[in-house]
Amino acid sequence: MKNKNYPFYFTIAALALYSVFVVLPGFMGIAYSFTDWNSYSTEVNFVGLDNFRIIFSGAENYTDYILNTLFFSITTIVLKTLIGLGLALLLSSGVRRFAHLYRTIIYLPVVLPTIAVGLIFRSILNPRTGILNEFFRAVGLDSLAQGWLVNPDIAMLSIIGVDTWKGVGYIMVILLAGLQTIPQEYYEAAQIDGASSFDRLRFITLPLLMPAITVVTVLNLLYGLRVFDIVYVLTGGGPGYTTDVVFTAVFDEFSKGRYGVGTALSSVLFIFMTVISFFIVRRLTRNPVEA
Amino acid sequence: MKKLPFIVFGLVLLLVVGSIQAQTSVTLTYMASQDWVHDAEMELGAQFEQETGIHIDYQIIPSDQYFTLLQTRLNTGEATDIFGGQSGVTDLIVNYNVEVNAVDLTDQAWVEQMDPLVAAQATVNGRVYGLTLWNTLGTTWVVNYNKTIFQENNLSVPTTYAEFRSVCETLLGVGIIPLFEPVSSGWHHVLWFPELGPRYEEVTPGLAEALNANQTTFADDPTMLTVLEQLNELYTMGCFGDNVLADTYDMTTQALASGDYAMSVFNLTGPQSIAADYPDVDPDNFGYFVMPLADNQNLNVNPAGPTKFIYSGSEHIAEAQQYFDFLTRPESLQYLIDHDPTMPTLPFEGLTYNLLPSQQAFLESFAAENRGTVYQTAVTYVNPQWMDIGQDLTAMFIGDMEPLDVLMSIDERRAQMAQAASDPAWGE
Repeated sequence: MKNKNYPFYFTIAALALYSVFVVLPGFMGIAYSFTDWNSYSTEVNFVGLDNFRIIFSGAENYTDYILNTLFFSITTIVLKTLIGLGLALLLSSGVRRFAHLYRTIIYLPVVLPTIAVGLIFRSILNPRTGILNEFFRAVGLDSLAQGWLVNPDIAMLSIIGVDTWKGVGYIMVILLAGLQTIPQEYYEAAQIDGASSFDRLRFITLPLLMPAITVVTVLNLLYGLRVFDIVYVLTGGGPGYTTDVVFTAVFDEFSKGRYGVGTALSSVLFIFMTVISFFIVRRLTRNPVEA
Repeated sequence: MKKLPFIVFGLVLLLVVGSIQAQTSVTLTYMASQDWVHDAEMELGAQFEQETGIHIDYQIIPSDQYFTLLQTRLNTGEATDIFGGQSGVTDLIVNYNVEVNAVDLTDQAWVEQMDPLVAAQATVNGRVYGLTLWNTLGTTWVVNYNKTIFQENNLSVPTTYAEFRSVCETLLGVGIIPLFEPVSSGWHHVLWFPELGPRYEEVTPGLAEALNANQTTFADDPTMLTVLEQLNELYTMGCFGDNVLADTYDMTTQALASGDYAMSVFNLTGPQSIAADYPDVDPDNFGYFVMPLADNQNLNVNPAGPTKFIYSGSEHIAEAQQYFDFLTRPESLQYLIDHDPTMPTLPFEGLTYNLLPSQQAFLESFAAENRGTVYQTAVTYVNPQWMDIGQDLTAMFIGDMEPLDVLMSIDERRAQMAQAASDPAWGE
């Protein structure tokens, strides 16, 4: 902001577009969450906190959806970061031949449309005809053949598995870029001092990779809290309500014509995400010397 | 600039010619959801144009966008001369507000010929607003069963739940999956519940009316609870097979044709669909019986279906009525039945249906007093929550909800919708 090379009015057009198409609808959404806006009536009346009372009352399953969303977010953050880091380490120093080919293959799922991935995995994970269970049965491991997307105990884990498969390439690329900024001399010096591989990972790689890890955590968190498409296409929130997340519930409310409750639910998530993002961005922008 | 007067003159001339042309030929605009208007009806539209000079401009909208678009156009006063909508008293009032948006057609000659059950669903406060040309009888959901499997296992058509359960046990004993139930599609397993409306009404006469007046609830009705408990028992017994939660509706013909499954809830004209997909299969190898939960022996008729309305703000109301008169001539209706494979029946008198003799005989075996309207049509605020009921039932199957919870959940959603719609029966 201290850069005065360009006058302020250069930003006006961008700010105006951003305000009209992003900020204003955001605030309108919050305003509508205090109303009974619905598809059955042209009148919109102020109802105070009624919609929020419905969400947190526990009479409907909204608290379960919020917990499911948090579970999904935290689990995918951990899995994607750990697997992404492992792959990045492997491809930056472990694998020498065809490293670029492997990177491309691992990144490929990221560019596939979620709907296509979902439909493919629905077919792969079908308990009777899916190739995963067919494979287990063919090699005599019948007990491992599961109702991946229809067993309430494992359906959410299956979604997390598919989402991790799809998203890990993206995380790997960011971490790979982070790894390549670490000077080789540090490792050589540590090696001369007798540091083991694990010591080098713990005392050199991880501390210097922290900014990249923070970035992927924020990205994963924001993605996880907003998750909708992969859940919708794999299970539609089912079986029953076991894999419903906040945005499948918002979608459901809108399709039922209860726009007020739908906007209230997304407002809750908006506030939660804003607070979390505020703290993470503060952590990110903190002076590295202080950190 | 010298050209300006000529340009203005040209434009004026165009407008005058255009308006003269518009006066001499009428074009009726007709907006409908995808799959509601078939080729045979468009062919009739062409014949109508030849006869009257009135052209029909069909505006076919993808089904997922149709309802929103129609509501927007109705609310902004820009609807087409004719618009399609799903009949059913709730939908007529809540979704289309026909008393304001549609022309009263009560005095039209064809109203007398329309099946009274079907006409009732296009009626609000004693006034008929819509013309329903839909295969309401052929789409009746009944249990289609494989006659060969039944004969080989000495099974007869069950008439009570106990007999039905025993049929399922016998089939399970010989390794045949009794019922194909595609729960993954989200809507099919719901059929077992509201389609039994005639039975609920038989046990508790006037129940639908009391529910609509908010004088009773689903949770208070013991027959409904019995139906859900029995459905849950069938699931728990394994009557739907191991793959039930992953099965989808598009697999139905395959499931029945393969002989892996003995029965499925399917349209009355389901065997024709099976034979179309698997030409080796004889459609007469399938028989029919009504869903026998709660000992039901009544035919479930859904008299609601895609219906044509004339927009009250149209400038061509008389021409649109003329089109409806043309469509409802006996020869036009018979043309639809003979040329549209999806319309083996139409809800009008004096027509020759395109049904198998066994299907015709099945329908005729139910006297008028043993036929009734399904509850998604007879009871308000049920149809709009169809998929939610589906999720509830799945939750019941996996043990997350009790049958009574499902009924309470339906009541809760009805109350929410009624309040949102400012239904006077629910008050404030």
